[in-house]
Amino acid sequence: MDVLDQLGAVREGKLSRRKFTKGLLAAGVGMATMPAATKRAMAADGEATYFTWGGYDIPELFVPYQEKHGVLPNFSIFGGSEEALTKMRGGFVVDVSHPCNAGLTRWIQSGLFQPIDTSRLSNWADVMPALVDLPGNQTDGGVWLAPFDWGQTSVTYRTDLFEVEGEESWDMLWDQRYAGRLGSLASGGDAWWCGAIKAGVDFDDLDTDEAFEKIAAVMREQRPLIRTYTDDTTTLEQALASGEMVAAMTWNSSATLLQAEGVPVAFAKPKEGALTWVCGLMIHKDAPNIDRAYDVIDSLLSVESGKFMISDYGYGHSNAKSFDQFDEATLASLGLSKNPIEILQAGHFQRPMSQEWETRMNELFEQIKAGF
Amino acid sequence: MAETSLSSGQIESDGDPAPRRGLAALFYRNETLRGYTLMSPTLVILTIGIIIPLAILVVMSFWTRDGFGFDTTMTTANYERIWTEPIFGALLQRSFWISGVATVATVVLCYPMAYYVAFHVHRNKILWIILMTLPFWTSYLLRVFAWKVILGYEGVINSGFMAIGWIEAPLEFLLYSQTAVIITLAHAWAAFAILPLYVSLEKIDKSLLEAATDLGDGPMARFFRITLPLSMPGVIAATFLIFIPTTGDYITPALLGGPDGKMIGNFIQIQFGAVNNWPMGATLSIMLMLWIAAIALVFLFVTRKVQEKIA
Repeated sequence: MDVLDQLGAVREGKLSRRKFTKGLLAAGVGMATMPAATKRAMAADGEATYFTWGGYDIPELFVPYQEKHGVLPNFSIFGGSEEALTKMRGGFVVDVSHPCNAGLTRWIQSGLFQPIDTSRLSNWADVMPALVDLPGNQTDGGVWLAPFDWGQTSVTYRTDLFEVEGEESWDMLWDQRYAGRLGSLASGGDAWWCGAIKAGVDFDDLDTDEAFEKIAAVMREQRPLIRTYTDDTTTLEQALASGEMVAAMTWNSSATLLQAEGVPVAFAKPKEGALTWVCGLMIHKDAPNIDRAYDVIDSLLSVESGKFMISDYGYGHSNAKSFDQFDEATLASLGLSKNPIEILQAGHFQRPMSQEWETRMNELFEQIKAGF
Repeated sequence: MAETSLSSGQIESDGDPAPRRGLAALFYRNETLRGYTLMSPTLVILTIGIIIPLAILVVMSFWTRDGFGFDTTMTTANYERIWTEPIFGALLQRSFWISGVATVATVVLCYPMAYYVAFHVHRNKILWIILMTLPFWTSYLLRVFAWKVILGYEGVINSGFMAIGWIEAPLEFLLYSQTAVIITLAHAWAAFAILPLYVSLEKIDKSLLEAATDLGDGPMARFFRITLPLSMPGVIAATFLIFIPTTGDYITPALLGGPDGKMIGNFIQIQFGAVNNWPMGATLSIMLMLWIAAIALVFLFVTRKVQEKIA
């Protein structure tokens, strides 16, 4: 009996109110338990959990994994790597997580991770050594972080709505003409560093009080111009597509995705230099599904995943062979090259910072975002 | 308490009709004990779920952050910070403002609905109530997102107005503003106003209204002298049910608030996240709780005074 029938029956007095309420109760119980049943079916036991940024929870990056196991790993999403580390320090256990080079030392020091035995990764031989060679990454048991993706944080802007004065520059996100139509990533892990570039602070001096003052000043100057700060790149992409925002701080992927949709956007090459970073994979020390954890990493390092990362997201990949699928012109148009170090050094390459710095920075940036 | 109920159960299953001894006898004679036993599941949940966490929160609020850990020496440093740094006071004020406006809007908008069902609907009342609460069958998060779609730059309101020709460019203040947060909160919590208001209105003795009419009161005077004072318990309940949870709400301001719409809940959440200062988060939560309690008490006092005056 469907719901409308029941309502009709009540109106005609055929069905007592009590019976009708019972029907409602049954429907309610059914609805409440349905998601539980499906969830259990999805979160199969013994599946690896991959704790990552939004946008990496897609089947395209797990083709080899799915071939081997028939299912996708479980995903858990974070908006910033500091948030992720805090959550894991609080006792959240995953198999694989996805930090970036700026956090590497702090992540290692947290004691929450185990070295990766590279001999268990079939794609390791093709991983570009320049990316593995990060400060503190090598250890006796292998490496702490298996590099996976690299790219830039810069300004994505609407070529038809944003009038660039002179060269492309970080000033675009401080442009008074477009007050209320600019967007920014909410995480200090990106925004603060971009503020440092804008303020002209050398990354060597980031830790000084003077640097904090200078960067805080430019961030305060920018705040009234920002429509919203968000860690959700989809929000920024949609806002750029609709014209709600004319320029926003994003990673490569937003520009590439929007271009593929036919939205007239460009990923700026700011004259001051973009922010560059390398992210990779680390295994939790208590990873409950260690074999599958290696399969997750191997899958992400595979050429199939690399091809997708480059063509659909516009990120660099760590597997040298991924780049063989593209000609130089395509790579150049995406701002990538087979020689990652060249690109990374051309921009401002993020570097590991102390925990005190990270905490102080986050605290200050949150206050600035709230208007103080 | 669990033991007592167990032993009494055993005696019963023995089928022993003899006078009960010891614990069982006490259990049957003592009404207080029986009452507590009946309440015990609730009490256990209350202790584990509310009292213990609250105690942890209070203790933690006197700690300080030490790197990634805690310095467990008791100090009032966090409370002093809240007192001296203007950001906390400003965020608290903003939260009370947003949630206060949302509460008033909800109660004022829901009162006529509840009034209509209580006085003018005579058949299928339950159906009306169900229909009014129908939107609340969907998840809170979905409702917030729905408002994002409605208020958005290319949302329902903007594209509708533009199609009619009322506006040239989309209204930008609709989304990412305090207005957006207030509108969404007022809708998302409507069910919590309708139900208590309906119950209190439904209970009003209709003969009182007839008497008032007989004695010469017009519809307005009748409403203010009979209906409103008698439905005050519902209004107060609705106000509390909405004001208290919305002050600490953080999902709505996070998704719709934009930089100027952030509330104290967002700041508390950040303390437990990226800023990683749990003791500060605990202190903020407690301050929020105390402030809400104070405001609630003042509100109760004022409404009681007003009621006395009317009566």
